[in-house]
Amino acid sequence: MSVNTLAPVDTQWPRFEVFQQVREGAPFANVGAVHAPDPEIALQNARDVFVRRPHTHRLWVVPATEILSRTAEQLADGQEQADAPDEAPDLTAVGDERRYYIFRKTSQRRSMNFVTQWGDVQAASPQSALRLALEQFAEDRPAFVWWIVPANAVLSSRDEDVSSMFEPAHDKSYRMPTEYHTQTMMRELEAQDRDA
Amino acid sequence: MPELSVNGPTTLEPDIQQAMTEKLLAMGDDELILAHRNSEWCGHAPILEEDIAFANIAQDELGHAGLWYGLLQALDGSDPDQLVFFRDADAFRNARMLELPNGDWAFSMLRQYLFDSYEMVTLEALAGSSFRPLADAAEKARREEIYHLRHTQAWVRRLGLGTDESRRRMHAALDQLWPHSGQLFAPLTEEERLVHATISPAPEEQARRWREIVIPFLQTCDLQVDEQMKDQPAGRDVHTEHLLGLVAELQQVARTDPEASW
Repeated sequence: MSVNTLAPVDTQWPRFEVFQQVREGAPFANVGAVHAPDPEIALQNARDVFVRRPHTHRLWVVPATEILSRTAEQLADGQEQADAPDEAPDLTAVGDERRYYIFRKTSQRRSMNFVTQWGDVQAASPQSALRLALEQFAEDRPAFVWWIVPANAVLSSRDEDVSSMFEPAHDKSYRMPTEYHTQTMMRELEAQDRDA
Repeated sequence: MPELSVNGPTTLEPDIQQAMTEKLLAMGDDELILAHRNSEWCGHAPILEEDIAFANIAQDELGHAGLWYGLLQALDGSDPDQLVFFRDADAFRNARMLELPNGDWAFSMLRQYLFDSYEMVTLEALAGSSFRPLADAAEKARREEIYHLRHTQAWVRRLGLGTDESRRRMHAALDQLWPHSGQLFAPLTEEERLVHATISPAPEEQARRWREIVIPFLQTCDLQVDEQMKDQPAGRDVHTEHLLGLVAELQQVARTDPEASW
């Protein structure tokens, strides 16, 4: 067996993007990613990594390779059609219309979330879904990033999962980093050192 | 026998209380010792996400230990911190399969699955306990166990049906763990008093229900239980040599400065 020694061997499991809905009807927001061998494990890993704190109603996981992502810069360069090499959506397949969820990022303020759900469109490909989104969804603030997520690539938690996957987090105490008063403590220690 | 009810008393007759304290101690020790073993994976699990998941499960089990020790404290005034950090190893009443060293990932996953199934069967029965504080605590723990079981089932299935290596490791784990599993259901002294008062379920009935769930599931994972495998001796006062080291590590910091406040 020959081994390509030039390319680093990626031993990671595939990456799944994680979307969290904090209450019924609220838009989903991308909160990060997990690695997993398959969607079911991805959903469980997403729960363990991102639901330690309360307020999750539903989680979605989506294979990262299923998501079409475009930045404002890419769109300005006319790259709606071009695809990055590590992205897999089949550009040539134009079949029946499918449903796509549209996500975008319009603010830099919410650092815990990347893109947030805006709506959905029926389209024949991710690229046409993106074009439709750009036409239909004019907002006051321009989007920095667009994500186009095929609805059939989503694995969602179920209503009956709420009590076992999300609600126990309500009973758990947790501390924000600021509660440890680390900086105050460091200043006191420094002051002691100076006085000594 | 009276009907099970969650509206039962919150205090116990003296003769039942003794049996109840023994039961709660065994339940708390099971969770504590397994939580400690699981916590040893922290930073060493095969992949980051699973490291987090298993640490999460370890914390949940520790929380369950807190539930049972808390009920014990309410009954006889014993201090959970004293029980955990200043009790000698030979006074622990956990089942032996939980104190065994972690071995490989297959062993730890299978052990967690076997215990999660045991805990689920137990908690479902205890949710109908006539001793209300126990029923309430069981219901609280049960929600988390549903998720634990989902996670460990998913992994046992994938490892059992996975590669030659994962299957070989799972078979080895099953051979090592199964003979210890009967001890989970070994009756405690005077446990029949609790059963008669519909406070806790009959151990032999629990064992039957557990086997009805676990053996078919393992079969779907290509893991055959050898029913001829001989059970290890049953008493919870008999431990392996591994408990001593575990308890020493668990208590090391607290015993270094018993007066320290945390």
